[in-house]
Amino acid sequence: MNGIRATLGRELRAYFLSPLAYIVAALLLTVNGLIFGIIISFLSDPQAGIGAPLEFFFGQTIFFWLILLAATPLLTMRLLSEERNSGTIETLMTAPVTEGQVVLGKFLASFVFYAFLWAPTLSYVGIVAWYHEVDWGPVASGYLGILGIGALFLSIGMLATALTRSQLVAAVLTFALLIPVWTFGLFESLVTSETAKTLLGYLDLWQHMDEFSKGIVDTRHLVYYVSATAFFLFLSTRALAARKWR
Amino acid sequence: MIEVQNLTRKYGDFTAVDGISFSVGDGEIVGMLGPNGAGKTTAIRMITGFLPPTDGQVSVAGHDLFEAKVDARRNIGYLPEHVALYTEMRVSEYLAYRATLEGMTRAEANQAIPEVLSDCLLEQVRRQVIGTLSKGFRQRVGLAAAILHQPEVLVLDEPTVGLDPKQIIAIRELIRKLGKQRTLLLSTHILPEVELLCDRVVIIDKGRVIAEGTPESLRQSWQGEGVVTVELKGSPDAAADSLAALPGVVSVAAAAAGRYELRCRPGSDPREEVFGAAVEKGWTLLELALRQTSLEDIFVRLTTSDRSPEADPTESGEAN
Repeated sequence: MNGIRATLGRELRAYFLSPLAYIVAALLLTVNGLIFGIIISFLSDPQAGIGAPLEFFFGQTIFFWLILLAATPLLTMRLLSEERNSGTIETLMTAPVTEGQVVLGKFLASFVFYAFLWAPTLSYVGIVAWYHEVDWGPVASGYLGILGIGALFLSIGMLATALTRSQLVAAVLTFALLIPVWTFGLFESLVTSETAKTLLGYLDLWQHMDEFSKGIVDTRHLVYYVSATAFFLFLSTRALAARKWR
Repeated sequence: MIEVQNLTRKYGDFTAVDGISFSVGDGEIVGMLGPNGAGKTTAIRMITGFLPPTDGQVSVAGHDLFEAKVDARRNIGYLPEHVALYTEMRVSEYLAYRATLEGMTRAEANQAIPEVLSDCLLEQVRRQVIGTLSKGFRQRVGLAAAILHQPEVLVLDEPTVGLDPKQIIAIRELIRKLGKQRTLLLSTHILPEVELLCDRVVIIDKGRVIAEGTPESLRQSWQGEGVVTVELKGSPDAAADSLAALPGVVSVAAAAAGRYELRCRPGSDPREEVFGAAVEKGWTLLELALRQTSLEDIFVRLTTSDRSPEADPTESGEAN
């Protein structure tokens, strides 16, 4: 437990002290703010038809994904690569802690910071609620989707940073791994086999987010996120334990 | 306290550590001595549990380092060769982080941190960001972190490398103090350090233990021959031959004009005979000194003599 507690505390402190995290936060808030503004002005046009702004916000635009794809590699890239590159890994891994504790502590820190990055968007909910009635179910499930997919993406970033001592390589590798995970849904229309179609349909994150934003909570999606996250974190501990370097 | 058995580490075809075995007793200070690249750091990394060995076993305080990792590591304090610290943290923050990592309670940490800060003379920099500290201070922060949880075993990898002479003296002072209460394994390529600090020496070269013992016993068993240095004014003719003929002298090497190094038979001291010869031949004697084999001589001889037959083929092999 002490391994999780110590790394979680240290990484959180490192996030809040590093300029990178604030740059990511600024990027995320700027883009989110723009999207929200566009959605609101679009929906206030009487001819645009009817829609709930928060539903749009949570999954009907591509911007949401671009942020997720750009931000997660930046959040995870230094977690283990920096320790390896600077050599602090040596005193870390000779302390009485296990690889699993270190990976979990660092992952939790990135997840907490990720959640913190989304927290300001709660103000959008507040703004909508000020002028209009809000259906709280879809809002809650929307955030559930954001956290679930975020956990999955961060765990993939964790694996990448466990594999290399270069932060740049870790970020690029994360991005390279996220793209296929993100586009499983697109492959769905490319394959002919019925089983493959069904399988890829299950893994279609766009579809998932669409459902979450409408207030549909399909536990199969959550099982997918949790088990895939656990799988990538497990691979990360194995990568950290292999310690073939130098 | 530390038991190392047949420890081996291979990197591909290269064997960095080749079946070393030794033990360090309770409260003993043992120096691991070897030239750069001898495999000291690799051995140390395996002894601290950072690097898994290809073969062999290590146990620390009765815990096998690879079966009972966490228990064994709890007993080790480790200062790596390159002391890497989180540069954005303050000294006291870093120590608090290490305390949590070692599983100390808040009360234990609150007691231990001021103690190690004062032991390692870090009180005046405790609020300073580590990135702004000099190398000597960082070394002391690393040492403070290593002794924070009061480990029974302290492993230091080249603790004085890269420090200025004043810092070296300070660190050695500290190591000597720490060694009084603990078992200490120290790796170094600096001989005086070993003679100064250690009860016992393990000499390592090319991944193997080539000699082991107390500094005195090593000196005795390897005390082949003393060396007498003779300097004569104006390098008289045939002086070398006359010197070589003296009893107890094995061979004579001319070191410079008029300067000779006489290798002597074990236990013999031909200085009197040299003086007698000088008087008889009318030489003017400028210097006459007997030098006992120092640990340095032994070290140099051990790590260079058996190098030629073994290392040459591999070196030419690499060149091809």
